[in-house]
Amino acid sequence: MKNIWILTWFTLKEAMARKVFIFFFIISLLAILITGLVFALSSNINVIAGGFKNMPFNNPVTMIEMMIVSPLSSLCLLLAIFASASFVPVMLEKGNIDLLLSKPVSRDQLLWGKFFGGILVVLLNIAFLVLGVWLIISIKFSNWNFSFLNIILSVTFTFAVLYSLMILFGVLTKSSTAGMMVAYFVFIILSPLLFAAKDKFYGMIESGFVKALIDIFYYIIPKTSELLGNITTDIISGKSIENYQPILTSFAFLLLTMGISISIFRKKDF
Amino acid sequence: MSLNVIETSDLTKIYSSSFGKRKVEALTNLDLNVSGGMIFGLLGPNGAGKTTLIKLLLGITFPTSGSAKILNKNIGNYNVKDKVGYLPENHKYPPYLSGGDVLQLFGKLSGMDGTELEKKIDEMLQLVQLSKWKKTKVKNYSKGMMQRLGLAQAMINDPDLIFLDEPTDGVDPIGRKEIRDILIELKNKGKTIFLNSHLLSEVEMITDRVGILNKGKLLREGTVKELTEKKEEYKIAIEGDTVYTLPADFVLKINLKKMDKDYYSFKVDNTLELNNALDVLRNNGIIIKEMTQQKNTLEEMFISLIKEAEKENVQ
Repeated sequence: MKNIWILTWFTLKEAMARKVFIFFFIISLLAILITGLVFALSSNINVIAGGFKNMPFNNPVTMIEMMIVSPLSSLCLLLAIFASASFVPVMLEKGNIDLLLSKPVSRDQLLWGKFFGGILVVLLNIAFLVLGVWLIISIKFSNWNFSFLNIILSVTFTFAVLYSLMILFGVLTKSSTAGMMVAYFVFIILSPLLFAAKDKFYGMIESGFVKALIDIFYYIIPKTSELLGNITTDIISGKSIENYQPILTSFAFLLLTMGISISIFRKKDF
Repeated sequence: MSLNVIETSDLTKIYSSSFGKRKVEALTNLDLNVSGGMIFGLLGPNGAGKTTLIKLLLGITFPTSGSAKILNKNIGNYNVKDKVGYLPENHKYPPYLSGGDVLQLFGKLSGMDGTELEKKIDEMLQLVQLSKWKKTKVKNYSKGMMQRLGLAQAMINDPDLIFLDEPTDGVDPIGRKEIRDILIELKNKGKTIFLNSHLLSEVEMITDRVGILNKGKLLREGTVKELTEKKEEYKIAIEGDTVYTLPADFVLKINLKKMDKDYYSFKVDNTLELNNALDVLRNNGIIIKEMTQQKNTLEEMFISLIKEAEKENVQ
């Protein structure tokens, strides 16, 4: 456990040295400033909320928060994937991995250390961005919706699921690009597509084979769309989560992917 | 410590290329024992399997067959490495860390902590003369400084067994001498050092035993003295130019050759022949002032051994 913590801590140091925090800070600050500027220019809360009449919320502040959730969480995740893509491939570079493996550290600990390190880096950065936006909204409208802060957890969890996939590709290819591309592909294309197929078009499909295919992929692939969509919306608006399936299947995906990564890493020659 | 700290038995490593089409035998049925408290030098041309052997012993690479132990524990047990140090060839430290940070990371991973670690970091940096560079990022270190830091890293956990892969690579002559002195000091403290090096003259200077590896096979192993002795070739110094008194067939038989001034060399097949030759020399009035067994340099021995092995492979 101690070794995992040491590696987690040094991953945090690595992120600081690679200017991940500065990069995140600048982008987050920009996002916070833009949010602040929009609200500063709009003196009447109902004017802002009025643009979103179709949303099922009575409280205009909640309405505003809802409109921010999607771009905010997407931005967070895009940045997080980009910032953490190199953690495992860099560790596996020749000369670096030799040294780490020559120490009394198990290969499992090395991978878990990098996993938790990446999550910690992302958690801290997302917390900064979300807290900033939340403070502006709360101060501006004197409405302190603490549930909004749950975005931090939902984005971090979604990231953790995708990060496990990036680790698997990192171990397989030692390339940060491959992991990053796969994570973006799942997040931007595959997950929304499967969600739409399952949610919107499933009833219209007649072929049993196609339905089975959609089902298989839908349950295997992490459900980033739902995690950052319905589930995050439910959490922020203070509702109880209607369907835990996306959380549970995504978590199972995380465990399975990490298990495969560890199993490959245990046998890999360097 | 005189027990074996490294033991390998039939250790074999075969690397397979993608889809297993091409196989490279990096190490073949290696049996090697290294006792504690010595400096062991492993020599061999590029691709001989020297680095592979270290990687196998440290669990960085896995054997195809055979077994090995270090410090009396199976190499599969990663806990054995808390008493092992390693300086890889072309090591790479995270460039964003300072020299002190590097030692802290690897010290912590070796189970050290707190003031004990801080004290050890300062001690090690002083030993390799990098104290004033403690807070400098390693990306600003020269090659020689990186090697010295690597050595400090390999010693941070006070290991009993240290693997050094080309430790003087890129280090200037003064730095090399300093590293040699450190290694001798470590040996005097009872540590075992396993050294891979291309610099044969350096290996000759400090190692107690040497192994010669070529194409994954151990060609010879022994003390430097054993390996460099020319079997049954002697050098004698005689008084006056009196060899003309010797029978011609005797001169031919022992291949007596003038080397320099009063010095001659000759060859015999065994100790009995040596004594017979000395009798003939004395009986013919030759006064022997000095006699020594001829020696090769390690480099000469190494080159001839590798060439021999190459010839055998061709045949």
